[in-house]
Amino acid sequence: MEQFVVTTIRLSVPLIFAGLGGLFSVRAGIFHIGIEGLMLAGAFVTVGFGSAVESVWLGMLGAIVVNLLLSAIYWFLIDRLNADMIIAGLGLTTLCVGGAAFLMNAIFNRRGSMTSSVRLPQPVVGPQEGLLAYVSELSILAWMLPIFVLVVWIILRRSRFGLQIAAVGEYPYASEAAGVDISRTKLYAMLITGICCALAGSELAVGGLAAFSENMTNGRGFIALAAILFGSLEPIRTALAGLFFGLANAVGINSQIYAGESNIPRQFILMIPFVATIFFVTLRGVISQRRISHGN
Amino acid sequence: MRDWLGTTLRVSLPIAVAFALGFILFAATGYDVADVIDGLWQGAVAAPGSLEQSIRWAIPLAIVSLGIIITLRTGEFNIGAQGQLMLGGLGAVAIPLLFSDWPVYAVIPVAIVCGIIGGALWSGIAGALKVWFNSDEVINTLMLNFIAVLLIQWFTTGPFKDDSTRGENASTPRIDRDFRLSDGTGVSDELIVIVIVVAILAWIIIERTPFGLKSKLVGSSPKVAAWQGLQIKRIHIMTYLLAGGFAGLAGALEVLGPSGRLVTGATPTLGFTAIVVAIVGTLRVPGAILAALFFGGLQAAILFLPIVTNLPSSGLRIIEGLVALLITAQFIWRRRTRARAAEQSATNDDLDEG
Repeated sequence: MEQFVVTTIRLSVPLIFAGLGGLFSVRAGIFHIGIEGLMLAGAFVTVGFGSAVESVWLGMLGAIVVNLLLSAIYWFLIDRLNADMIIAGLGLTTLCVGGAAFLMNAIFNRRGSMTSSVRLPQPVVGPQEGLLAYVSELSILAWMLPIFVLVVWIILRRSRFGLQIAAVGEYPYASEAAGVDISRTKLYAMLITGICCALAGSELAVGGLAAFSENMTNGRGFIALAAILFGSLEPIRTALAGLFFGLANAVGINSQIYAGESNIPRQFILMIPFVATIFFVTLRGVISQRRISHGN
Repeated sequence: MRDWLGTTLRVSLPIAVAFALGFILFAATGYDVADVIDGLWQGAVAAPGSLEQSIRWAIPLAIVSLGIIITLRTGEFNIGAQGQLMLGGLGAVAIPLLFSDWPVYAVIPVAIVCGIIGGALWSGIAGALKVWFNSDEVINTLMLNFIAVLLIQWFTTGPFKDDSTRGENASTPRIDRDFRLSDGTGVSDELIVIVIVVAILAWIIIERTPFGLKSKLVGSSPKVAAWQGLQIKRIHIMTYLLAGGFAGLAGALEVLGPSGRLVTGATPTLGFTAIVVAIVGTLRVPGAILAALFFGGLQAAILFLPIVTNLPSSGLRIIEGLVALLITAQFIWRRRTRARAAEQSATNDDLDEG
């Protein structure tokens, strides 16, 4: 049970970081499917650069810098050069997936996966055994998550900048008329998305494990986007949706452990998060459809 | 059609930039760019049998991209071609494995039809959820890709298991040679005839049927389409089924042709490359065929490259990713007519030229 709770939290943390990060872009009107790639880039740079300089913090800083750069390029293409955000986002993800695999091979001479010599500190040491033994497995980013959620909520719901983002996404012409610089607001939103995805990637690679593998994100970026939709573009609800998708994933992993003897094939258990994502995105769609037809 | 030169320039500039950036990266990481270029040329065109391999990869890319063109023109982002392709392969491989005592002239058509149905159903799920439940098709088609991989993994390690294979290479048993449309090279008269027929069919659907015209209208100006009384939902469902059917057909031909069996980790990026092909081909049938030949050549070359230089296949992913990033960007000579056309720039481009 405790193991299950800790697994849920650990699987949720990257989803929530990526989800809340992506929320800035989605609220600004950018359906950012490059999140998947940015997470993977963040994971790779944290492991690669962090291992090279023997510092997990510098590794994370490197991941943030790389993601800022990639986000700025993506912004330039879709905002300034009017590129299609879905196609370019798919391209961004592919570039990151290919780039991580390529550089891992070219620089570290590894194929498929590599271990990290650094990992995030796990600041709280729980008791050796008993109910709370597993809390020592949580990384510092997991512990900082509540503060992070609060900060995102304050920025998006209570700050001038957050309101500008929402205005740009929902009423671009009105906000332009009100003197908001749409392009710049989008740029800032996307840069924040990049930073958060770097953190999500770091947590994924060096939060619990200390390794990077080519397909490490395995759709988590897309699921984070689904969490944003399911959370109706609200920060707290998005975080809860992320927790929920983490739970679905943990159910899968746990049933794999406990149902090893049963005859449910493991592939079907591994499908749970993906099927759950479709189900809840659809549920969300039905609800919003009702609202529209009822004139709200 | 007016502006051949402009279109060609607009398409080749991003590709050239993508290659240039890729080569800079290869050079920076210690690869000899001259070797890489030589290897690409050899692997795609010059070395014996390489042209055949380029065509072998162009066939599935062309067929899948024709389906993608149909959905993109209606403004729907069905990006699940990869999953639809795999389901098509599954539908097709089941027939010769289960009914190996049937005559050849029954097995092959039934297998192809089952492949088409498999792909269409997989795409139809996303389409139905979008049309009737307002569910986001981008997320759903991506999720269905992941589910398809797991489903194929289960089939190749469970019901259709070949005991000599495992892991990434887990596969079904080989199908009987009589039921194959080509040998391992993947090029045969039958396949070429099929791809030509399919391309003509797609061209007729897109350019010469009421459905093609209506779907274009739905994509470019949904409001006008609604005012005209078009049944938008039905058109959307049709486009999803057609796109899935094309992808499924490509999956079926892959199994009945070069592969001869269904392999878990086979062609994991074909669906994405086909999206790039559709857009590079400016959402038109002849353009898509040319683009399919180009990217087919690239695919063949990357498999050949290890003979010349040890550039890993992820190098190709980088170039493809860069092409997708850059290809829809509108450079200086494009007039920016509508500021909010971002979501539909692909279909709008098409409208501008039509």
